[in-house]
Amino acid sequence: MSASLEKGIHALKEQVDSTVAAFFSSCVHCGMCADACLFYTETGEPERMPINKVEPLRRIWKSEYTLLGRIGKLFGLTKKVDDKLLTEWETLVYDSCTLCGRCSMVCPVGNDIALMIRKTREGMAVAGHAPEGLIGATTRAITIGSPMGVKLPALQAQIRHVEESTGKTIPVDVEGAEYMLLLSSMEIMNFPEFIEAVSKIFDRAGVSWTISTEAFEATNSGIQIGVSDLAAELVQRIVDAAEKLKVKTVISPECGHAYMAIRWEGPNLVGKPFSFKVRHILEVLNELREQGKLEISSRETQKLTYHDPCQISRRGGVINEPRSLLDMVADNFVEMPDTGKMNWCCGAGGGVSSNERADEIRLKVFQRKKEQLDAIKPDAIVSACSNCRLNLEDALEEYNMDIPLLSLTEMLADHLAD
Amino acid sequence: MSDRKNTAQADLTLGEVLRKRGISRRSFLKFCAATASMMAMPPSMVPAIAAALEKARRPSVIWLSFQECTGCTESLTRSHSTTIESLIFDHISLDYHHTLQAAAGTHAEAARIASMEENFGKYLLIVDGSIPMGNPGYSTIAGVSNHDMLMETAKGAAAVIAVGTCAAYGGIPHADPNPTGAVSVGDLIKDKPIINVPGCPPIPVVITGVLTHFLTFGELPELDHIGRPMAFYGKSIHDRCYRRPFYDKGLFAETFDDEGAKKGWCLYKLGCKGPTTYNACATTKWNDGTSFPIEAGHPCLGCSEPDFWDGGGFYKALSMPTENITQNIIYAAAGAAAAGVAVGALNRAKKSKAQATHQKVKLEDLNK
Repeated sequence: MSASLEKGIHALKEQVDSTVAAFFSSCVHCGMCADACLFYTETGEPERMPINKVEPLRRIWKSEYTLLGRIGKLFGLTKKVDDKLLTEWETLVYDSCTLCGRCSMVCPVGNDIALMIRKTREGMAVAGHAPEGLIGATTRAITIGSPMGVKLPALQAQIRHVEESTGKTIPVDVEGAEYMLLLSSMEIMNFPEFIEAVSKIFDRAGVSWTISTEAFEATNSGIQIGVSDLAAELVQRIVDAAEKLKVKTVISPECGHAYMAIRWEGPNLVGKPFSFKVRHILEVLNELREQGKLEISSRETQKLTYHDPCQISRRGGVINEPRSLLDMVADNFVEMPDTGKMNWCCGAGGGVSSNERADEIRLKVFQRKKEQLDAIKPDAIVSACSNCRLNLEDALEEYNMDIPLLSLTEMLADHLAD
Repeated sequence: MSDRKNTAQADLTLGEVLRKRGISRRSFLKFCAATASMMAMPPSMVPAIAAALEKARRPSVIWLSFQECTGCTESLTRSHSTTIESLIFDHISLDYHHTLQAAAGTHAEAARIASMEENFGKYLLIVDGSIPMGNPGYSTIAGVSNHDMLMETAKGAAAVIAVGTCAAYGGIPHADPNPTGAVSVGDLIKDKPIINVPGCPPIPVVITGVLTHFLTFGELPELDHIGRPMAFYGKSIHDRCYRRPFYDKGLFAETFDDEGAKKGWCLYKLGCKGPTTYNACATTKWNDGTSFPIEAGHPCLGCSEPDFWDGGGFYKALSMPTENITQNIIYAAAGAAAAGVAVGALNRAKKSKAQATHQKVKLEDLNK
């Protein structure tokens, strides 16, 4: 066990690049990020405003990379980063931030605050200040292959169940398939209906696809805890499997951060461009719709709304696809206030859901989502992230709200024309 | 049918158009009087203005937008409620304006060509935005470079009005290091009368004033040494500023939140460029005469002056040298720049060192 403050400070020093320096020097202390963050708006506690969460990184930048800070350091005037500070900041950096990136949207000088919090986690993690829940999830991801400890036999059993129920074979380890589907552990364990839905839709559309037994896990705990080395290892497993099967496209499933991890951070983590494309499942389904390969025979009549998963909509840009798909299948679709790229986070992303210590605040900040839902009173909520889905179900129960959660992929499969 | 209707509309005089819009003779004369006083003309001129405006046919106006932000158009079209200024502005025949015209693509360009041919030698050309000379591809409209479109359109213009600091003096695109090689209208057109109406953006009433003058007298108003109408740009902001008495008494706000700032003292020490800026803000004000920057507590930026963006910091008092710096200061600046480079190199070295000594993080590194 070798986490130490020195390692943490060293990691923070590595994280300060010209982008970070420019961000810190251009911050005008306006405080607009506060009102964009549900952890601030729902608690009213000023220490939870986004820019304050990056204080450890800011201190390193100031004392190591600015003239005044360096002079101050000589005279012992510059504030130091020590274990006391990091202990205090643990709950701000991990429990009170879902890396949803809403703060980055409103910053008038264009600072990507979410990115800076992600970078701050790099220092926190190796200084031994990451939450236990996330360390556990990361350890399982690296050693077992899944943050929830799901092993291959579990997937194989679920595949068998799905095959029995649909009577269709699920292609496994098929070389040269066009698409390679990744799954999140949550989908394997909690929502196997997702696998069934994809199987039905792809079968009907005549899509050539496969699941790899060597890399089926889409999630990336390394990104959530903030250790790029481990995150890169997890990405590399997918890259190796995709290259081995020579697939053209890797599909990220209904999971927010998995999509961000493989599509946007992935090539940067492994240090070279992928030989395949990465698409979110909704992007693939929308392409099928545009090609006329996704036919619907019945429609949803109940009042539906769409919860935008932060990493898919705001940070991922997949905003119009779900709406085009919903347009095809839903008669009564209503948008929540603050929708699309300005949607409010469910409160459990960015590793918060793996961190039991954050349960209380996670449920408290759900009030923001509750207000959004109260404004339109939907019959059901559609989303495209298993993590959002689990958290919404949990929190809705906590608030005694009886609104079912639907997966968009599964809903489309239910209405598929024969 | 629709053509005939348009022609009929075009044949109406301004007086007829205004009456059709329900503008009374009284308010019309009030506008003429206001314009006369604003442009420092004797009261005896008011009937002359009224008579001339009454009879004026709608002049054809072609508006070209080059490297600009549309702020000038925004300013000039924001006439709070329907005012006579805006009506006059509405009832010039604005034949071509990227932002405001309904036509698009080839139709838009056809409208420009048609208007140029019909009104050759008579139309007014209004330009906002600077013209990039570095590479014609930096800004094109319908595949035509800004330079070519300006030169082509200026040929038949009676006069050219450069609206906004970009068109008048190059403005922000022209600011150091001027990556697009931006130049002003006056840098390119030498054979036509040019009126500069600078400001970032300019005050709406200034352009209606210039138009009124043109309609009344058929000629351009008196201009200062850098092509601005004297009537609006004849006095500095400082000379007309309501905070001037505090300057004279030596009462200055030192910071934005001190007693002086609260008491409305002079903003000179906070970098106000009022003393070197010539514009009508202090008298005509903004937002329908509501206020202007200094009244809102902020120093003047000097936006109607050439090179205002390169004149040193907005918050540096004018007595600090902002240009023509002496040799010593050049040395000091070079020294500071060298120090900056050295600090930058040091920072890079520190970061490279941090990265070079990176130890791959393993699972055990997560626990103490």
